[in-house]
Amino acid sequence: MTKRLLQGNQAIALAAVKAGLNFFAGYPITPASEILHELVNQETIKVLQMEDEIASINAILGASLAGAKSMTATSGPGFSLMQESIGHAHMMEVPLVIVNVQRVGPSTGMPTFPAQGDILQCKYGSHGDYFPIVFYPNSVAELYEFTFNAFNAAEESLSPVILLSDGYVGHLYETIEEVDYPISERTLAPLGTSNRHFTGLTHEDSMPVTSDPEVHRKLIKHLEAKQKKVSRKYNNYEYIENKSSDILLITYGALSRAAYDLKEDFAIYRPVRMFPIVEKIKEIAKKYKEIVVMEMNAGQYANEVERLLHREVKLISIMGGKIDLNEIWTKLRRIKKGK
Amino acid sequence: MTKELTYLKYLKQDRLPHQWCPGCGNGIVLKLACLAMEKLNFPKKGTVMVSGIGCSGRSAGFFDLDSVHTAHGRALPVAEGIKLANEELNVMVISGDGDLFGIGGNHLLHASRRNTDITVICISNAIYGMTGGQCSPTTEISSKTLTTPRGNVDTPVNVQALITGHNCFYARSTTFHFNHAMKCIFEALQHKGFSFVEIKSQCITNDGRRRGFKNSYEMLMSYKENYKINNNTNALEHNEIGIIK
Ligand SMILES: Cc1ncc(C[n+]2csc(CCOP(=O)(O)OP(=O)(O)O)c2C)c(N)n1
Ligand code: SF4
Ligand SMILES: [Mg+2]
Repeated sequence: MTKRLLQGNQAIALAAVKAGLNFFAGYPITPASEILHELVNQETIKVLQMEDEIASINAILGASLAGAKSMTATSGPGFSLMQESIGHAHMMEVPLVIVNVQRVGPSTGMPTFPAQGDILQCKYGSHGDYFPIVFYPNSVAELYEFTFNAFNAAEESLSPVILLSDGYVGHLYETIEEVDYPISERTLAPLGTSNRHFTGLTHEDSMPVTSDPEVHRKLIKHLEAKQKKVSRKYNNYEYIENKSSDILLITYGALSRAAYDLKEDFAIYRPVRMFPIVEKIKEIAKKYKEIVVMEMNAGQYANEVERLLHREVKLISIMGGKIDLNEIWTKLRRIKKGK
Repeated sequence: MTKELTYLKYLKQDRLPHQWCPGCGNGIVLKLACLAMEKLNFPKKGTVMVSGIGCSGRSAGFFDLDSVHTAHGRALPVAEGIKLANEELNVMVISGDGDLFGIGGNHLLHASRRNTDITVICISNAIYGMTGGQCSPTTEISSKTLTTPRGNVDTPVNVQALITGHNCFYARSTTFHFNHAMKCIFEALQHKGFSFVEIKSQCITNDGRRRGFKNSYEMLMSYKENYKINNNTNALEHNEIGIIK
């Protein structure tokens, strides 16, 4: 196995190629552009620079239906533009990988600074009900590994899988081993082999049925069950137990790297499969008096965790793209004293 | 003896009759597409139909081919993705004027610039038919629609200039000029590179009736009167139909 110094974004691109990527379409945006830059140099991959992110996701949607393993990569502004088509891909059951290297928002925000403001957008950004699989690694090696997982989960679930990153991890350089992880092959027959109709309308046996609530209920149930089943293969999280602490600190992505310095004082839980939320958290949380979610947004995951656990969850919100251990300590001390 | 309608093999006959209004031009365009495909002996496996959203956007679902019903305006990037992922496929788009020039207009600008080898048939009824008859990017100046009660004041999009400006195939015809329209599609399908066929078509329910037409026959007759075939030009006048290669 070769060891290599890679940037986070570059690791995603190289892992994607190894995981079977055939087709990439994207639009330049900081801090995700390096993925596009890396892929244009890969001769075996069809790479398109499109006119915008809407065109990008729709091009990969078509390419995937035509039989190509397909990916796009963007940051918040582009991810916002893709939302309608993400729902569409869920409805048509198209395997895709969508990378979102997060930066500070809303809007143009702070383009070169990391953030975690798109967590809920991953789950709720498109209209209607859908059940996305979302991964959020926190190191270059993990980005590499989870690019394989994202491709595999997309093929297994026939759905667009979101691979989250952030401006910090995306631009981080680390030495990693280029492992050849197993690959899930394509099961969906490519376009041009049958007479199927792929539609975003409510449908049954690939034909639109737009006035029968039962058909709609059945379809959504099918989508939900399928996503849950596949996600069970990827129950990825990291848990650092701490028997002397009664506080469980939940944190993920870039920010979780700073939290490793706190493991003497707190138990740490780091979700990697962000959605559907790994149920293990329920069991782990029972061992601790206090649950604290620390994230680079105004409490997006904290709300989700609170809803799942049915108990109060405290929030440490680190905004503006700056990760400062002193600030984290001050906020944690306040919580410790408060009880 | 009745002639066997062999072109129907390209349609899912169990889905017929279609759900469009009586007199709608969409059905004529479906038939034209089938006839052109039959004439070229297009294999059903190996041909893919793509539509956007709108009344015309329902077209793809009637074909007995693998087909994709995209989000509103997104037929072109989806079709390009399909074609570029598998160049062996014949990729066709049938969609509306609102879909292709309005919400999807930016994609038209770039798909033609990229000269992707796909054929696009626009059912150009100068209206947003499906949503009740709002003004569209091809609505004529002074035309009354649901959203232009005092007449449209904006210039219709110059599709010919856009497509020919990128040296792509452009043809214009109408649902009245059946054989001519068929020739346009037939030639477009044989063109290597991006080809665009704009077929002026009637929406009686949400357009014609608001503009004083009693039925779609009257609308067809207006195409007969207003449009002249010009086989010998590299820029069609407003009232001309023809092919620019
Ligand atoms: C993003 C989005 N916005 C608006 C709509 C509503 N909508 C559906 S069809 C349509 C207009 C279609 O017009 P055109 O493409 O000309 O098709 P026609 O019905 O005239 O054939 C609109 C605005 C939609 N489906 N999606
Ligand atoms: S509303 Fe107009 S475009 Fe739509 S089906 Fe009826 S006649 Fe055709
Ligand atoms: Mg229209």
